[in-house]
Amino acid sequence: MNPNISPAIILHHTDYGEADRIVTFLTPEHGRLKGFARAARKSRKRFGASLEPCAEVQLHWTARGSGNLVSLRDAELVDLHSGLRRDLETLTLAGYGCELADVLFDESGVGVEVFHLLQAFLNHLDTQGYSVEARLLLEIRMLSVAGYLPHLQHCADCSGPLPKGAVSFSAALDGSLCPDCDAGRATLKIDRMTLGTFGKIMQTPLTSFADFKLSPLSRKEGQLLLSDALRCYLHRPLRSLEFLNRFSPDETS
Amino acid sequence: MLNSIPSFARLVAELAKFPGIGNKTATRLAFFLLRQPKVQAEALAEAILDLQRNTRFCSVCFHITEQDPCSLCCDTRRDETLICVVEEPQALMAIERSRSFKGHYHVLHGALSPLDGVGPEDLKITPLIKRLEQGGVQELLIATNFTVEGDATALYLAKLVQPLGIRVTRLAYGIPMGSELEYVDEATVNRAVEGRRDI
Ligand SMILES: [Zn+2]
Ligand SMILES: [Zn+2]
Repeated sequence: MNPNISPAIILHHTDYGEADRIVTFLTPEHGRLKGFARAARKSRKRFGASLEPCAEVQLHWTARGSGNLVSLRDAELVDLHSGLRRDLETLTLAGYGCELADVLFDESGVGVEVFHLLQAFLNHLDTQGYSVEARLLLEIRMLSVAGYLPHLQHCADCSGPLPKGAVSFSAALDGSLCPDCDAGRATLKIDRMTLGTFGKIMQTPLTSFADFKLSPLSRKEGQLLLSDALRCYLHRPLRSLEFLNRFSPDETS
Repeated sequence: MLNSIPSFARLVAELAKFPGIGNKTATRLAFFLLRQPKVQAEALAEAILDLQRNTRFCSVCFHITEQDPCSLCCDTRRDETLICVVEEPQALMAIERSRSFKGHYHVLHGALSPLDGVGPEDLKITPLIKRLEQGGVQELLIATNFTVEGDATALYLAKLVQPLGIRVTRLAYGIPMGSELEYVDEATVNRAVEGRRDI
């Protein structure tokens, strides 16, 4: 059987038995896959550090007889992203990015965009370290690629314009709402300036992370609105999120 | 077929729970035990029961021990100003084998793992901080694994311990990224302890 050879980002691994490992990884062409790496913990000859979470690798695998687990044959390290290990905030944010990709996507479609998005995110954190901006850029783009981007700059119900100042917002109701459509249903109030800022962010390339600087208000409201949107679409709470909220220097509330 | 010999099937099922042992190996081992004299079988059963009955975790360093505190903690020749933190007892044993370290130990019983939901409260971190607050310790050598989880744990501990005015160091040279200490050779562990660096 010919092996598949593809660039991949390691999202997660779990130890299996004494020496084996089950690895979740993201590829441009095949989306998110899970593979079995025999003796990966014990013998360092074949895999070395290449199965560490957040590593970018060239992965070789073959399909297995049954089930959706592939067999990992070989891995060449492209970039371990060891700069992520500079501090706990950076490492936790990188892990959060990987978990987000893991839960939002699967084997089907959209692989290329998610792959390049996560790759650019990890490269950015590797050299620049933690920032709230990097987190928000990743979150809004992940939502957008997954097809879950809420309406930001016009009313989600009637497509009409939004008032100046505080705007009603609810991800469960598809996003921003004008006063008439809201009628007291939305739980969040987000300034129209913040909505405009995130609207503009959506016009920038998916892979650009450098030189974004948000105002304290946009940072705070951005976290509120994106957390609301993510809560709405994730089928399980993210384990890394609790860590992120605990260890990140910039608190929301 | 095994169902017709329930006691044999039961042993195979128990053996197959061991790490790295599948049904085939378990069956082979069961046949081996079947052919052993009765005293041999009893000795094995006793040894397993004794391990369970007599061992516990040391109340000071959380290494496996039969006496509490353990022999390492009671050894007065060891340097009391130095504590080495490891993830698992196996890593402690790896460092002991390398004969490079003469201080005391602390076993965390795991590592922080954001993606698996393993937080500080799941590890023996609070007792470590209590130990350090009692005073006398000048250096904490962090010997967690060179994995994402081991690094996260080291960063977390450094943040927690540095304000106490204690020097925090980490194993350095020669240990490849992604490694678990248990599987690293003695000479490399020795060099890494010698060449530890400040965090
Ligand atoms: Zn409307
Ligand atoms: Zn002890």
